[in-house]
Amino acid sequence: MRRNQSILDLEIIAVKIRRNVLEICRQRGGYAAQGVALADVTAALYFDEMRPDSEGWFHDRFVLSNGHDAIMTYGALAETGHYTIEQLRTYNEDGSQVDQSPIEGQLGFEITAGSLGQGPSQAAGLAWALRQQGSDKRVYCLFSDGELQEGNVWEAAMFAAHQKLDNLCFIVDNNDMQASGRAVDVLGVEPVPEKFEAFGCKTRRITGTDMAELLDTFDEARATKGQPYVMICDTRLWDGIDCLQQALPMAHYTAKAAVDWDEGLAEITATLSALEARRDG
Amino acid sequence: MLLTGPRSFDPAPFDDISYDLCTRRDDVVIMSADLSKYCQVVRVKNELPRQHLDVGMAEQNLLSVAAGVAKGGLIPVATCFACYITRRAYDQMMICMGTGSGPGTNQKTGPTNIAIGFTPGISNPARIHHQAAEDLGMVRAIPNARVIDPVDSTDFRAALDAAVDLPGLTYIRGHRGDTPRILDPEKFTFELGKTYKLKQGKGIGIIATGHGTQWALEASDILTDRGVEHSVLHVPTIKPVNESEIAEFAFAHNQIVTIENHQIVTGLGSLASEIVSDIGGGPRITRLGLPNRWAPGGTMDFIRGQLGLDAETLATRIAGVAK
Ligand SMILES: Cc1ncc(C[n+]2csc(CCOP(=O)(O)OP(=O)(O)O)c2C)c(N)n1
Ligand SMILES: [Mg+2]
Repeated sequence: MRRNQSILDLEIIAVKIRRNVLEICRQRGGYAAQGVALADVTAALYFDEMRPDSEGWFHDRFVLSNGHDAIMTYGALAETGHYTIEQLRTYNEDGSQVDQSPIEGQLGFEITAGSLGQGPSQAAGLAWALRQQGSDKRVYCLFSDGELQEGNVWEAAMFAAHQKLDNLCFIVDNNDMQASGRAVDVLGVEPVPEKFEAFGCKTRRITGTDMAELLDTFDEARATKGQPYVMICDTRLWDGIDCLQQALPMAHYTAKAAVDWDEGLAEITATLSALEARRDG
Repeated sequence: MLLTGPRSFDPAPFDDISYDLCTRRDDVVIMSADLSKYCQVVRVKNELPRQHLDVGMAEQNLLSVAAGVAKGGLIPVATCFACYITRRAYDQMMICMGTGSGPGTNQKTGPTNIAIGFTPGISNPARIHHQAAEDLGMVRAIPNARVIDPVDSTDFRAALDAAVDLPGLTYIRGHRGDTPRILDPEKFTFELGKTYKLKQGKGIGIIATGHGTQWALEASDILTDRGVEHSVLHVPTIKPVNESEIAEFAFAHNQIVTIENHQIVTGLGSLASEIVSDIGGGPRITRLGLPNRWAPGGTMDFIRGQLGLDAETLATRIAGVAK
């Protein structure tokens, strides 16, 4: 833990991120199931792990490789105030500047991430350049299990380990889901930790939804010397909103009409009230 | 010839160019993909190891790591053979290196990304897989990219010097091994987009780039001996080129011939044709270069002979367009 936030506070932020994701995606559909499932990772990353800088941004660098997971960043940056929820509601609208898979330079996004599998190498190059210049900044890169099928990802792992980039932390959204179904059916990617270990990385497999475990894992990543760190998060689509998880478990993309957004929001509101009651309790 | 100096040969131009650049700028990183020696990156690797980064034989990684290095505030100069740096890693060149700045992106100025493709066209002896007859066209198709095909070590050096100060993607065709010194550094100053008249005449206007300019000058000597009137325009910048200079040159001649070490589609010949046809009513343009079939392998002299690009045949083909 870096910013002395309580676990409960971070859990509350995660629920608010889930709420933002639903608010954004209910307009015209979107990658809601991933944004919801990654809300705990996102809360831990943006509200505890990455250090703020003096200019209202972050000292550390986040490289989003899995472009469509931008929805998680939008959920977080609505909470930080970098985007308004009104701006974000234009997501998936013709002419919107809020891309579903953003382009390099858009607020919050370091790379153009939509051609999948290209983030890990860019994060590794970034980490190498920062280390070269004596910077203490850390680099985080999120990519997905689908991206593990791209060769470029393994080129990055080999390079990062060879260069002993211990300022680099890979976060894998290992949700056993990709565009056409479950990864186990399309092209199996397991055993994921063992593969990265074999490439020379230090790894830890977690659920990705337990806040205490997430913070502990980020701590371990920071304490790791001489190796890049890979946290493999076994999330499942919609983690944190049971009714939607039951309604649409195979939702790589969630169309506007595919789920009952009000039902999901009602569950979120109840979860939020319970957590806030505990906090104020 | 205008702008040219005494002929001599530079045995390893990029070794000096890269070393000189790195000693002047400690923010430059020369990157390799297991081909440092073959791209003549020797002194930087040995004497300035902090400014050399080898990613192994992984060209997608070369360009995506380079793009990350650029985002970290350094200037990557990714080197590899032209075939691999474009064909094998085109998406990384376009998306990772090419989308960070310029019209249509999210920022006016973004990181500087440089890629150098060595042994382009038929300057690699290993046929098909090692040759790159389409690299200029591929990179030319990337919005905001800059594409430069220098004729010798003088404009190769100048092109790289220009690129390190520019945001966005620059692709330069590299020269390696015995490279003729053609341009006189005293008389020639490189400017991005500028074209250079190497011979002023009338009748046939020859427009050439890269090795094609070397070939054009060889043919020019023969044409002069035979009394065939012509001019030669060297066009190192394929993109963004000063279009009005090409148009002015083209409309000042009865016939245009383009010469390039590249397929006659999508490269210089296409560029000149597009510019002239956009205006309309211009001279006929004959495109000489690599045909739309697999070129043979071997020495460049041998391949040129096979493809009718040796000096003698070129001169005859050029003279033939007047008839
Ligand atoms: C290089 C590339 N190939 C194909 C696609 C098309 N595509 C978009 S998402 C996707 C599956 C990605 O899997 P994952 O990120 O694990 O999906 P999720 O878990 O978010 O459902 C594919 C094949 C792409 N965007 N990029
Ligand atoms: Mg997945």
